[in-house]
Amino acid sequence: MKYAVKMTAPVQQVLRAMLEDAAVPRYGLQISKQADLEPGTLYPVMARLEGVGWVESSWENPDLSIKDGRPRRRYYQLTKDGAEQARMALAEISARREKRRSSLSAAQPGPLGAAL
Amino acid sequence: MNGQPQIQPQSAAGQDDALGGLRKILRITRPDADVELIRRAYDVAASWHQGQTRMSGDPHITHPLAVATILAELAAADQMLCAAMLHDTIQDTPYTFAALSAEFGAEVAALVAGTIALDQVKGGRRRNQSEVLAAVRSADTRVLAIKVADRLHNMRTVEFIAHAKQLRKSRESLDIFAPVASQLRMDTIGAELETVAYATMKRNRHARSASGRLLTAMTALLPPATRTRWCEEWLGELHTLPARRDRASFAIHTMLGLPRLAYTVCNRAPDRRRAG
Repeated sequence: MKYAVKMTAPVQQVLRAMLEDAAVPRYGLQISKQADLEPGTLYPVMARLEGVGWVESSWENPDLSIKDGRPRRRYYQLTKDGAEQARMALAEISARREKRRSSLSAAQPGPLGAAL
Repeated sequence: MNGQPQIQPQSAAGQDDALGGLRKILRITRPDADVELIRRAYDVAASWHQGQTRMSGDPHITHPLAVATILAELAAADQMLCAAMLHDTIQDTPYTFAALSAEFGAEVAALVAGTIALDQVKGGRRRNQSEVLAAVRSADTRVLAIKVADRLHNMRTVEFIAHAKQLRKSRESLDIFAPVASQLRMDTIGAELETVAYATMKRNRHARSASGRLLTAMTALLPPATRTRWCEEWLGELHTLPARRDRASFAIHTMLGLPRLAYTVCNRAPDRRRAG
């Protein structure tokens, strides 16, 4: 199936990290740590996900940032549709990987196949 | 908004809600105030500013109302309160001086004109500190008081504007408005201006660091409409990194991803089409 976003490795990492608790809004650096991605990789991914509506972002309540004496943060959250699509896409990718692995071991019986 | 809008008081209940705070203050500071006149100024301003919103999303009229309320706390005269209510109408709406003058008198019109003249000196291309100060010294003290109250409310709501502008407004508040406020014996206002301006500058302190400058400069590669958002977002992230080395590393890595980000942001539309 074709998805709105090309499921590159960084996209998958971001989606897995965000799906761990889809209801929690997070700021960029949090996602970058959880997904183990450099910010330079993360922001383009976030922009793409936001562009297709899988993710939405909003500024935090300025009262909070003023109280803490810092600029306000931008928080990202999966949309309902985005979370659904992301789950499906990730499931499909792991199913495909599983299939490839089993076909590989079936095609190559013998010592190598057994080792797998 | 082309034609003359219908100027009529909103429903009595709504009216009392909007002006309730101001009335309460006037009962203490100016029991003799011409509340009817001030309410008319409010009605005129509200109808001309109808549909305009502030960066905070509030209707624009909340701003002149707040400015008038600040001045009412200082027991300002009726003309000043009217001028405060109307101070943005000439510049931001089709309302004319002639109409303002006819409805509220030459004195109110002159006060509004004075605030506009000061804006022009301050916002002029060849502005420099001494020119601005000279204009401030020669200005009517009542005009200055309106400008100080105007600035105080703008600083109270400063978090809604772009951070570069926040810094500029803070600097200006400290250099020009706070001293003027103390000259005018508006001491509590001067003190509040200083507190808000210092807090704003402190909140934005990373904007001036090497990492902050790098991040800000980089956004030049992005489409203009998206620059402020990314810039502010990254400055917010910088604040979560306590170590300078981490901030530098964040700035450099973000920079490395910038061509990709610029490409993505510019190509958002086709992405969306594929999604649909």
